Amino acid sequence: MEFKHKKLANGLDIIAEVNKDAQSAAFGVFVKTGPRDETNNIAGVSHYLEHMLFKGTDKLSTYDVNRRFDGLGAIYNAQTGDEYTIYYAAILPEQLYETAQLWCQLMRPALRDDDFNMEKNVILEEIAMYQDLPHYDVHENCKALHFGEHPCSIKALGTVESIKALTSKQMREYFESRYAPNNITVVIAGKFEFEKICDYLETGCADWQPKHADRKTEYFAGTAKKEHQKKKNLTCRHIGLMSPTVSYQDDRADAATLLAKIIGDDIGSRFFWQLVDTAIAETATMHCEAMDGVGAYYSYIRTPEENCSKVLQIVEDIFKSLYREKISADELQKAKNKVLSAITIKNEIPMERLAELGINWTYLKKYRPIEEEIEKIKKVTIDDLTALMQEFPLMPFTQFSLGPEK
Amino acid sequence: MTEKIDIQKFANGMVVLGIPMRQVQSAAFDFLLPAGASLMPEDCCGAPAVIEDWIFRGAGGKTSRELTDLLDGLGIHRNSSIESKHIALSAVLEAENLTRAIELYADIIQKPALDESQFEYSRQLALQGLASLEDDPMHKTMLLLRQHFYPDPLGRSPLGNQKDLQNLTAQMSKQIISENFNVSEIIFAVAGKYDFPKLCSLLEKLFAGQKPGESKDINIKTQSLAYNYLRHEGAQVHIGLMTPAVTPQNIDYYNARVAVAVLSGGMSSRLFTEVREKRGLCYAVGASYHSFKEMAGIGCYAGTTPDKAQQTYDVIIAEFKRLAEGISDDELKRAKIGLESSLIMQSESTISRAQAAAMDFYMLGKVRTLDEIKQQIEKITVKSVLDFLKKNPFDKFCSVTIGPSEIKTV
Repeated sequence: MEFKHKKLANGLDIIAEVNKDAQSAAFGVFVKTGPRDETNNIAGVSHYLEHMLFKGTDKLSTYDVNRRFDGLGAIYNAQTGDEYTIYYAAILPEQLYETAQLWCQLMRPALRDDDFNMEKNVILEEIAMYQDLPHYDVHENCKALHFGEHPCSIKALGTVESIKALTSKQMREYFESRYAPNNITVVIAGKFEFEKICDYLETGCADWQPKHADRKTEYFAGTAKKEHQKKKNLTCRHIGLMSPTVSYQDDRADAATLLAKIIGDDIGSRFFWQLVDTAIAETATMHCEAMDGVGAYYSYIRTPEENCSKVLQIVEDIFKSLYREKISADELQKAKNKVLSAITIKNEIPMERLAELGINWTYLKKYRPIEEEIEKIKKVTIDDLTALMQEFPLMPFTQFSLGPEK
Repeated sequence: MTEKIDIQKFANGMVVLGIPMRQVQSAAFDFLLPAGASLMPEDCCGAPAVIEDWIFRGAGGKTSRELTDLLDGLGIHRNSSIESKHIALSAVLEAENLTRAIELYADIIQKPALDESQFEYSRQLALQGLASLEDDPMHKTMLLLRQHFYPDPLGRSPLGNQKDLQNLTAQMSKQIISENFNVSEIIFAVAGKYDFPKLCSLLEKLFAGQKPGESKDINIKTQSLAYNYLRHEGAQVHIGLMTPAVTPQNIDYYNARVAVAVLSGGMSSRLFTEVREKRGLCYAVGASYHSFKEMAGIGCYAGTTPDKAQQTYDVIIAEFKRLAEGISDDELKRAKIGLESSLIMQSESTISRAQAAAMDFYMLGKVRTLDEIKQQIEKITVKSVLDFLKKNPFDKFCSVTIGPSEIKTV
């Protein structure tokens, strides 16, 4: 694997990892903007804008865009995370250059009012769809409760009210302030010629004007509030728990990932043995959400309504026990093995590697080769985990749950 | 894209398939065990979901904890699924741990502890899985759709039903395992980095002692295509519909696949264009091909708020029917490129290749190479798809909706 980097005069970073043996290539545009860069009155604009980019430019209609991507055989889409918006395509190497050209054009969208009004219906349907997916709904609500007044509390899709009230003018203003080349990284992985793709990008993106695109990144440990909502269509109890941890930029982020695996990997973790193996809960998992300047552990548990108190008692016992007795060397090693094998497996596919490269660069402005990732995981010690738990206590946690009315 | 496929059949009937992949350090494998939902006795629906959990609770003299620790120690990412004919046990891991992992899986399949004290946990988890389906109306719609489209026992839900799960005992489950884990019908597939001769001698040593059992047949009942509605006080009406198509053994299989790609391949496809882009009726809308060995269908899902549900359904049905009226050369070209390109992308994943190889062998008695699939797709013309649609018009539908209100169906 060979790393390449070029910075254009307008501040656009182009980073690439060339794998000559790959069958495919992956192309991504990582824009460092998301719901946390919004305010409540424009909540959901990042995600809505992501949809609008597919609606074309002054020269391309929605239908032209869709036909061109499909004609290239691209597997393409976009995703709005809390802190970034990613546009991507997995493609056969020979079609990469045209795909890159198309994405560059789309990064300067027309944002036509007709398209804006039609797409509003689709966004409202997407909000409705997620209301019928309680595991998603509970995560969004738990995050909002945990982060309180902090910008990370804003829900990814916004709300029905914020979307209905949003105007195309507000979206254009948001676009102008956030989609500046100095706030965007173009990422390529797999089989391709770097110089050739840079030529395409230099031509396509040279006239993008840099702008000040800042973000507030103050740390927040969470509200530790508790809330429960009843819904008439639910059968099970869906519980979300959040407690603070390190940010993505912190060197201890790998230790936090391993700690979450030890506590709540879907198989073989403490949650697994005490909650799932014993059939007290159907699902109980924990993962680390390391973000820009902040971080949180998120646990999701689905259980029969009658088991809810028992589940919460066991979770508290598990958290307390981690402070009483040290994590065993064997537990840590198993967590490492799972993380290390996942790194090997996912990096075999250019599309997976693209995500890793782009997110690393967006947060750290740094290339991290796979070997370095592996070394960092291997170096984590039990003492690192103990120190992490002391500085970022697992309790008290924020708790949001959804359950049936009866 | 020339691809090598390794095949070995043991004296007891077990089949071993391999797809070597250059430049990967991982290996993935898939065991298909002939104990799927449709093969269960009448009153044991849901038994595979219990069995799939129970066999991992200790095997080969190791306790549940010892076994899980050993698997975790190998850094295995494992998955089990219940299909109509099989319980599929798959795993992906670093290639250097493959031998040890297969040894452990051989114990899980042939020497599970089946400790009765653990059975109740497995049964309770299966019941909870069934209960949680109530909170996932999208998934429930698609399971109900298959149940109503395919005649029993083909379309049975992998999660079973509450009554049967409540009555299921450890003894009944043991009986099912001994009758169904028949080595002569086990298919094993591996893809990635492996040494085939070594792998075969390992598997032969591990499974040679197993004598072939009796092959199980199913009696497929008849079923008429109808509309089924379930009330659910959620935000959306979840619409599922399915129309008959040809199975992979059929000469028209690739025509059917291309027809579905025109209908719902990429974002320029007909359903996405007419339902989402032009009318803004849905976020999620899409159709896909689904098949068993005996029967196949083209299923479609759309989720929409109640006031748009009827229009969504009507537009989808109109698009299914309109396909036979004509397809443009550009549409055909995009559909074919999309199918071929997905094929190559999937070929980069060891687990996708292993699972596809096992399923191909079960369906067709052979594993199709990527070249062969590509050539078949390339042969398809507008005329061949339209001729297929004349023989197999998309005009009869089974429909399921779950949501706050009902719709009128054709």
